[in-house]
Amino acid sequence: MREYELYLVIDADVADEAAAAIVDRVTSLVVAGYEGTGGEVVKVEARGKRRLTYAIKRRVESQDIVLTFRTPPRALPEIERVLTLDEQVLRYLVVRLDED
Amino acid sequence: MRSRERFQSSGPGGGDARSGPPRSGGRRPYSGDDEDRPEGGRGRFAPVRRVCQFCVEKADVIDYKDVAVLHRYITERGKIKGRRKSGTCAKHQRRLAIAIKRARHLALLPFTAEHLRRF
Repeated sequence: MREYELYLVIDADVADEAAAAIVDRVTSLVVAGYEGTGGEVVKVEARGKRRLTYAIKRRVESQDIVLTFRTPPRALPEIERVLTLDEQVLRYLVVRLDED
Repeated sequence: MRSRERFQSSGPGGGDARSGPPRSGGRRPYSGDDEDRPEGGRGRFAPVRRVCQFCVEKADVIDYKDVAVLHRYITERGKIKGRRKSGTCAKHQRRLAIAIKRARHLALLPFTAEHLRRF
């Protein structure tokens, strides 16, 4: 189990419920974990709307959400796969927090 | 004027001729005097050697989300400032570079100045 941080850049035009749905999707994957070892979401932080420095998929504004969670590393590929497929997620970044 | 004449007379050429010519001759060493200039005219880069800001704050990690801080370490064109310019220590410069690149990926910082011009 390692601690990670996920930064989501979501299209600003996406409704709040849809954004929450993305968070729920990730949460369920984190909780499911990998082969019996489940994880947990520690924190969900909505950073609100902001202007993008450059256009992504012709979008100029985004709403950002930061999730902190603990999960076995093997669970990550599936989480990332889901995020890449989601058109509403403009960008995402997973960073390991417990680096030493 | 008077003080200058007095100054010249005390100099090497002063004793020989008191009027016109020695005055211009007395000026020459003055204008060519390198010792009067700070550190000579050669140093084109004025290295502002400061202490690494992250060391001062005893920062272990540099947060890619903290745009306000990262902004200080990029140029107008969006390039990462060198250690020469920012005074960052090697350890923190490496971490800083990674943080800036992460921020760029999330469109928190520009990759190039063109990104800034577009809007």
